[in-house]
Amino acid sequence: MLALDISGLEMRFPGIDTPVLSIPRLHVPAGAQLAITGASGSGKSTLVNAVTGLETTTAGSVSWGGTDIARLSAGKRDAFRAAHIGLVMQDFHLFPGLSAFENVVLPVRLARRLTQIDRERALGLLETTGIARASQAIETLSRGEMQRVAVARALLSNPGVIVADEPTASLDRRTGDEVAELIVRLARQDGATLVVVTHDPVFRERLDRHITLEGGRIVEHSAEAWAA
Amino acid sequence: MIRFILADLNRFKAGALAVIVLIALSVALSVTVTLQERAVRLGSARAAEKFDLLVGAAGSETQLALSAVFLQPSPLPLMSGAILAKLSEDPRVEFAAPVGFGDSADGHPVVGTTTRLIAALSPTLAEGTGFMHLGDAVIGSEVARRIGAEIKPMHGAADEGGHTHTEIVYRVTGRMAPTGTAWDRAILVPIRAVWQLHGMTAHEHHDHAGEVAETVAANEHGHDHDHDHDHAPHIDAGAGVDEHFDAETPGIPAVLVKPKTIADAYRLRQEYRGETTLAVFPAEVLTRLYATLGDARSLLLAIAIGTQIIVIAAVLLVTVMHVGARRRQIGALRAFGAPRRAVVAIVWGELFLLFLLGFALGVCIGYAAAQFISATLTATTAIRMPVEFAWQDLSLALWFVVLAVLVSTVPALSTLRLSPAQALRS
Repeated sequence: MLALDISGLEMRFPGIDTPVLSIPRLHVPAGAQLAITGASGSGKSTLVNAVTGLETTTAGSVSWGGTDIARLSAGKRDAFRAAHIGLVMQDFHLFPGLSAFENVVLPVRLARRLTQIDRERALGLLETTGIARASQAIETLSRGEMQRVAVARALLSNPGVIVADEPTASLDRRTGDEVAELIVRLARQDGATLVVVTHDPVFRERLDRHITLEGGRIVEHSAEAWAA
Repeated sequence: MIRFILADLNRFKAGALAVIVLIALSVALSVTVTLQERAVRLGSARAAEKFDLLVGAAGSETQLALSAVFLQPSPLPLMSGAILAKLSEDPRVEFAAPVGFGDSADGHPVVGTTTRLIAALSPTLAEGTGFMHLGDAVIGSEVARRIGAEIKPMHGAADEGGHTHTEIVYRVTGRMAPTGTAWDRAILVPIRAVWQLHGMTAHEHHDHAGEVAETVAANEHGHDHDHDHDHAPHIDAGAGVDEHFDAETPGIPAVLVKPKTIADAYRLRQEYRGETTLAVFPAEVLTRLYATLGDARSLLLAIAIGTQIIVIAAVLLVTVMHVGARRRQIGALRAFGAPRRAVVAIVWGELFLLFLLGFALGVCIGYAAAQFISATLTATTAIRMPVEFAWQDLSLALWFVVLAVLVSTVPALSTLRLSPAQALRS
């Protein structure tokens, strides 16, 4: 598990005068669970991109367990993300033509040799997430099952952080609740720090702290979220 | 990685197939041109191997060589028979055989010659015996006749409006072994039978010396010819074959000369290049033709390579667009922790694989096409044209692979510029 420390973070896009995201300080302790809410265009996704290193920050530092990823090169950021951050996205981003198991191990396989431990962990995760047949072709799964596979993929490398961007937004109520429960439970089990962008109040309530963004700034935070 | 590439290509099956076919066809074009040119060159060279030196009346060297070696019907001027007699007795000559053409039977050229030439072409006959009588015929391996079958010669060729000689019916007595030359389609008969058929016997040969191309172009000289038939109502097919030639020997279009030594060959060639006669090495005529053939090949190959460049440009365009359309996928791969080198390798590998498949398919198609063309040519000319790869083809293949490696790199490197977040947003 890794603690998140943001200071003086600013994200600007060319052609726009005001920063799309400006967070002077944000601290999430290791193993904590943070919900990020806000209207669309409030900067949620930009924040996710910044904390996962998917996008280069304009200014400030984003530090995970003492490693400032804002200072890393693009390649090193990719490597850091691969090693420490498990990502779950609204659109699953699974790869058709591969089985559930192959989807789970794909990132690892592309980065290095797949070990026996990886295989066993992948099969275990699929079992935990409730996918009965690991060899099933991904396109034949239901949407809920697909997101479960995506969750299993995010957890394969035993990351210290799980970042989920609207993981339940494209699922129906019941399935969404199940996936939300699964993410929270597994993150807690593994002791991973969890950051979830969601507009689902039920999901938000499952997490121990939350912040709300508006116009790229934190406008509201729960007592536990230490932000300023 | 391979698994992913295959799954990915499977998703874009139609597009991948189109790219493969496009590459395959352009490659096939070059392969066919290269193989076919080689096949024609090797085939004709082998067909000409047994023809050391040709002597004929003054005229076109190319025509003389093509007519004698490939039995192409063409109006050749006749050379005085005395030359044949002189050559036969020359100590530098192992043998000199007349080659008298102009008649045909069922599309097969009927060639008047001697047993020496048959022995040179086919040292042992595949079946039967050589000719002993004027009415005997020895057929090439490709002539679909049985021993004992009758052959009615026709003056000229049927499609030229020739007419059937009624004065003689040849009987097949033997069949040559396959030689891989145009002579496999020929029907060989005693030269004297041809002379008599055309009313050119020794004593009246002077009257007919002017009737030069008569033996070949029936439609041009048919009238004179009909006239001749009145003089020669019948030929005794049972008469023995006389292969002794003297100064009174009638005219002939060509004489095949087998010199004893190479030096003799050059001396003879020199001697018989004159006002009235022409001596050529078919090989030198072929070499000249190959130069032309080589020019044609270069031109065709240039066109083929041009096509390849256009195809590669098209493929490149398709791939760059394809990478654009796949930004999300590429972004996702990066986001989930696939290193950049893996993404580059995937895009590169996919395109390279398509190139290789297209190349392999193209080589197969090109080889098949060359085989088909060769088979068609062999069916009409009987000249065996070997379609074979040579070592120098390897360099062409290597060039293609190097090019494929480089071209595949362009779209692969273009993925490097993509930021995963941007790619995911699109």
